[in-house]
Amino acid sequence: MSALPRRIIKETQRLMQEPVPGISAVPDESNARYFHVIVTGPEDSPFEGGLFKLELFLPEDYPMSAPKVRFITKIYHPNIDRLGRICLDILKDKWSPALQIRTVLLSIQALLSAPNPDDPLANDVAELWKVNEVEAIRNAKEWTRKYAMEN
Amino acid sequence: MEQFEQLLTCAICLDRYRNPKLLPCQHSFCMEPCMDGLVDYVRRQVKCPECRAEHRIPYQGVQGFPTNVTLQRFLELHIEITGELPDPTSGQTMKRCSVCSEKSYVTMCGHCDKEVCADCKGAHMDILRREIARINSQVRRALHRLQDMLALVERNMLALQTNCNSVSEEVEEIHSRLTKALKDRTEFLQSELDRYLTTEVKNLAQLKENLELEIANISSNCDLADEHMQNENVEWDDLELMDAKEIFLRTVEFIRNFETETTDYTRRVRFVMSHDPNTLVLNVAGYGELSINMPHPVIQSLQPPGPGLMRSKSDHRLASQYRGEDRGYDRSPYDADPLQGRVSPLGGRKFGERPRERTDVNSGTRYGGRNDRDYGDEYDPDNRQSARSRIRARFRHGAGDAADSDSETHGGRSVRFNESHAPPVKEREKVLDTEDVAKGPLSGITRLLDSPRVMKKLLDSNVKKTKKENEPAPPLPAQNQKNPIVRKTSATPVTPPVTQRQVSEDDEIARIKKQNKTAGSSSETVTREPVRPSSERVAALKQQSSSDQRTPERSPSRRPSAQEVTSSEADSDEEVAAIGSLRKTSTTASPPNTKPAPARRVGAEVGGAKPDAESTGTSPNRARTSSDVRRGSVSSTASNTASPATSTTTPTTKPFQSRFLGGGNRPSTTSTTATATPTKPTPPATKEEEEEDDDDEEETEEETETSSESEETESEEEAVAKKPAPAMEKTDIGPLLARAANARDTAPSSSTSNARDAFISSRYNNSSDSKDSTSYKPYGTKDETSTTGSKYGSASGRNRLSDDDIPSRFGTSTTTSSQPRARPSYETDSTPSRYGVSRETRAGSIGTSLGTETPSSYTSRFLNKSKSTAMVSPEDEKDESSLYSSGRTRFAALKDRKARLARSKSSHALMLDDEEFDDGPNSPYSPAAYMASKAAAASSSVSDFPSQLTRSRSSHTLKSRENSPDRSTAGYSSNASAGGGEKDGAALSSWARYLKSKYGNRGKDGAGSSSSGTATGATPTRRSSLHSRHGDDSDEESKNMYGSPNDPIQTTAQTGIGQVGTTPRSQYLQKRRLQFKIGSRGSEPGCFTWPRGIAVGPDNSIVVADSSNHRVQVFDSDGIFTKEFGSYGNAEGEFDCLAGVAVNRIGQFIIADRYNHRIQVMDPSGRFLRAFGSQGTADGKFNYPWGITTDALGFIYVCDKENHRVQVFQSDGTFVGKFGSMGNKAGQLEHPHYIAVSNTNRVIVSDSNNHRVQIFDVNGRVITSFGSEGSEEGQFKFPRGVAVDDQGFISVGDSGNNRIQIFTPDGQFLRAFGSWGSGDGEFKGLEGVAVMSNGNILVCDRENHRIQVF
Repeated sequence: MSALPRRIIKETQRLMQEPVPGISAVPDESNARYFHVIVTGPEDSPFEGGLFKLELFLPEDYPMSAPKVRFITKIYHPNIDRLGRICLDILKDKWSPALQIRTVLLSIQALLSAPNPDDPLANDVAELWKVNEVEAIRNAKEWTRKYAMEN
Repeated sequence: MEQFEQLLTCAICLDRYRNPKLLPCQHSFCMEPCMDGLVDYVRRQVKCPECRAEHRIPYQGVQGFPTNVTLQRFLELHIEITGELPDPTSGQTMKRCSVCSEKSYVTMCGHCDKEVCADCKGAHMDILRREIARINSQVRRALHRLQDMLALVERNMLALQTNCNSVSEEVEEIHSRLTKALKDRTEFLQSELDRYLTTEVKNLAQLKENLELEIANISSNCDLADEHMQNENVEWDDLELMDAKEIFLRTVEFIRNFETETTDYTRRVRFVMSHDPNTLVLNVAGYGELSINMPHPVIQSLQPPGPGLMRSKSDHRLASQYRGEDRGYDRSPYDADPLQGRVSPLGGRKFGERPRERTDVNSGTRYGGRNDRDYGDEYDPDNRQSARSRIRARFRHGAGDAADSDSETHGGRSVRFNESHAPPVKEREKVLDTEDVAKGPLSGITRLLDSPRVMKKLLDSNVKKTKKENEPAPPLPAQNQKNPIVRKTSATPVTPPVTQRQVSEDDEIARIKKQNKTAGSSSETVTREPVRPSSERVAALKQQSSSDQRTPERSPSRRPSAQEVTSSEADSDEEVAAIGSLRKTSTTASPPNTKPAPARRVGAEVGGAKPDAESTGTSPNRARTSSDVRRGSVSSTASNTASPATSTTTPTTKPFQSRFLGGGNRPSTTSTTATATPTKPTPPATKEEEEEDDDDEEETEEETETSSESEETESEEEAVAKKPAPAMEKTDIGPLLARAANARDTAPSSSTSNARDAFISSRYNNSSDSKDSTSYKPYGTKDETSTTGSKYGSASGRNRLSDDDIPSRFGTSTTTSSQPRARPSYETDSTPSRYGVSRETRAGSIGTSLGTETPSSYTSRFLNKSKSTAMVSPEDEKDESSLYSSGRTRFAALKDRKARLARSKSSHALMLDDEEFDDGPNSPYSPAAYMASKAAAASSSVSDFPSQLTRSRSSHTLKSRENSPDRSTAGYSSNASAGGGEKDGAALSSWARYLKSKYGNRGKDGAGSSSSGTATGATPTRRSSLHSRHGDDSDEESKNMYGSPNDPIQTTAQTGIGQVGTTPRSQYLQKRRLQFKIGSRGSEPGCFTWPRGIAVGPDNSIVVADSSNHRVQVFDSDGIFTKEFGSYGNAEGEFDCLAGVAVNRIGQFIIADRYNHRIQVMDPSGRFLRAFGSQGTADGKFNYPWGITTDALGFIYVCDKENHRVQVFQSDGTFVGKFGSMGNKAGQLEHPHYIAVSNTNRVIVSDSNNHRVQIFDVNGRVITSFGSEGSEEGQFKFPRGVAVDDQGFISVGDSGNNRIQIFTPDGQFLRAFGSWGSGDGEFKGLEGVAVMSNGNILVCDRENHRIQVF
């Protein structure tokens, strides 16, 4: 494996030194490009109180291409499917090299606060979210308590 | 501040901006790689990461965006304010890594000397680390060599001390003895003196008393007489007066007579010294000397090279020299380092330094200027740049590859290792300051532990990670780029320097190769790396594993090619031998005598020939055999006779023509001569002959026929002999015979008579020879069974001729071949059999149209024989047929001397023909002849013993003849009944004559040289036989020469003869003066670069293996360049540092293509014929074949140097056998370099690292060995070239002592000459040695790049 680009090293250092509130990202011991991420559920959201595990992988050509992020913890969210895949523009076509791990994670955290059922990934969830938001939020809270608050 | 810093940080790389480019959206990013990475090449757009604005990319790419100057100023300001060092990569631009071709910030890799990215660099350093480990282990393994050397040195010290002590004791003892002797003598003398004095004084005192008494008495008498007798006072009676008178008379008488010894007493005693006092004093003063054997008188003493490290010890001098040079070179460029006493392997650079150039200069210069130079100037010695630079260049090349392959080439590695860890040889930034470091005094290797840098590193590592002490962690590329990491285990460092040096030596070669190859860099690199190591082979530490590949290339230059020499020697030997024999013969035989003889011979020949023909008619098979036999005999005889003829220069030319003409004419003559009474003799003769044969020797088989033949001839002779006196007059021959008879009768005393005698003797010899040949038939038969077609077949003819001592397999083979030959020729004159071939060849050489003639000549011969009576006539015929005046003259005046001479010539010619036929192929030029001659030699060896006997007998008989021509001696009976019969009967039967004529010379020779033999009678000494043999050879050669006047050999041979009139021994004793020299350093024709092997071709050409020019050069015998062939490579006809050359009898070049581990055979024009062998240790494989030679039968002997053995091949490359193994016992070899084979089939090998010369028989059994390490006479230091002449005298190129030593055939030291230097007669590193047919010794003076001829 080729050496770690300076940028990744720097980002990692900064993540360690100046962690973002509510977010922790720790590189894997064996792979500096693989991060174990934990995001806390934003306040005033159905996910509040939950600790959501994600995995984040920096591809070879990072930062020219977006990191790959996936929820490990199950979550009831219209933009996150059952496999944990995230529908987020900056992780796709809106990716910019100027973004960083921390910004990505912040964006994800923000996504939790503001689900966007108009651009769904999990259709059933989005449907419910549009049709019966209360029900959806209750489900979300349920899931959060069920999956994200076990420990 | 933080924000300020943030403003200076590129959003993409999160580093400080490097070359910030401003997008139209006013966002700035680093140009590389950030902006580069943003480019959408499809749409030629850049999307700003910050604002996502899309911008068209300018035409020239992202560089086209304006630089954000403001930002840059801020950056600079920031640096000033904070004092922060710029980011290491700032100011750098990204380049493609030349290894992985990724774009990144590249740095120079010391390992491969390329710009590589950090990743690759790390990988390279890993490689280096591994290499170091490996090399280190090698060093460890090889370290014992140094330890051994240490032990050796210690032992030497002890030995030296004991030696000196013993010597001083010896001196003391001598001193005491001398003083005691002096004292004793002095005391003795003094006491003697005293004694003498006392006695003498006593005597004198007594005398004095007596005298006084006498005086008193007499005076009283006088007084008394005065007083009383003169007057008459007293009465005296007469008696009293008478008494008184008597008394006075007596007194008077007494006084008169009395004489005391009046001698001078002042010098009565003298001290006489038995020796002149001065000399005595001198003798005493210089009563002894210390003879100190300086192993390397010239160069070596001051600088003991690390012998273990050198490739071979023999090279150590060179190495030291080289080192010297190297140093010199190093100095100039690196004068800056005054502190460096020795150039360390790092080349003036301190350990871990970056190469200097690098620091100050851009790499471009390096590559441009330096490299060019390196490559271009390789050969220019003056221009040499520091060896180091070259090395570097090499490394660079190699380095590139290194990344890819962990290949095991050591040499390269070692160097590399230096580079990477401790930065490469080239100048680097100082990593380790090692000025004060202890260095190995011999190798100049620094002690790593002493290097502050290393120490620091180790310390650091200790502090940080104790674990990693052993293995210093590779520096993180990013962090440590500045400081290459030097940590290594302390042991490792040692190796690299050594290797480097070695490498430097080899560099030249390697370069040369490179030049040659000019191959692609990548592929090349691989090869190169190996190459380097090879050079280092000498040093030997690393080489072992990788060495194989490398060695070939590098080593060549250094190593002389012994093979060539040997081969050349071998060839030359034969020729030389022939010449030598000629000489001998010339010396022995008196020309005048010989001349007359030939004439007769001719007759004899003719006579002899006929019988064969007849016999053949009756019983073809037998006849053949018999004829063969005869031929053999004849040839031998002819050779013998020929030799005398040769001795006389004049006759030689004529004989040719006469020969041929004679041959052509003969047949006709037979008819004409028929009158002579050809048939008559036979019937009776046969009977007689048979009887004779029985008497002569045991071989009865052929006998009937052979005997009939020989008998016939004999009978003829006899008949002639019987008739002769009467008959002589009748036939033309008659007169001659008569003469001869007369001569015999009258004159043993007269020269003519002598000549006759000689002839007769020769005859006898012939007969004996024939018998011998018959006796050998058994062999012949065997041979027949064996493949007739073998090349050696030609040789078979010779077998008969030669009486060599060697019973080798070759002998048998030769014999066999000969027979087949003989048959065809006999049966049909025109048969295309070898005879024919040989004839043709001969004819070709001669230039006359003998092809047809020759066959006829055969027949004619026989015919002549049969016509024995007609013998004379055949001669005449010959003459007639020949345009020669001689023939005419003969006719005109048979009785005239001229006629005689002419005849003799003609006869000679005939004889020559016979010989040639027998020998056929003898003429050196024609390949067949060449081979045949060789074969003859071989065969001679086989037949030796008997032949010797016969010869001795014959000589004996001859002698007896001379003494009493008429009577048949016992010797006769033994040898040739026929001969005896002849003698008895007419003494001059045609056969006899023939024999005489042929063997006359020989007889002489035999008589002369083997007088002892005759004395001994039945047991002739080997010497004599040898002589005679030589004589034969010489004869043959001389004939050949004569036969082909144009032949270069001729002149040489003649000159040789002229020069050599004396024995080879004396000749060798006179050797020392340089005759001429060839060449100088260079690659043009006539120049050499490390010439190694040398050989002498059959035409006396000088063939040199111009090793590092990868070619063979050929010169004529005067050293004029004639041709060259070969170039660098491993394809057919290409060489890689060839070492040995040999030329076989047919002029093919056999070359030891050293680094290609194969033998190549080229035709006489230098075209590739075949190659065989490859690298390995199995049979037929080689490891650096070096010396090479061939023997009489064409077998190829190769010194398989690194396999420590000699391999033998057939001339087609078929493996025959091998002998020798690594060791120093008898029969073992260590780095055999050169080889030679004598004409007695003794295989002489220079067992270089055992400092001796070993002699084997052809089956690989040790016959003897001589020499030991040292510089005394008869001792060697790494002997290389060996050569042997026809006499068996051995010339050895004593490389380490820079001298040529000459030994007798039994290994006794004869002479030495030469010393170190570059003047005439001085050497620097000897390689091959060869001996020309005229006795000149050719020496490859390697480091002087020339050939010297002595």
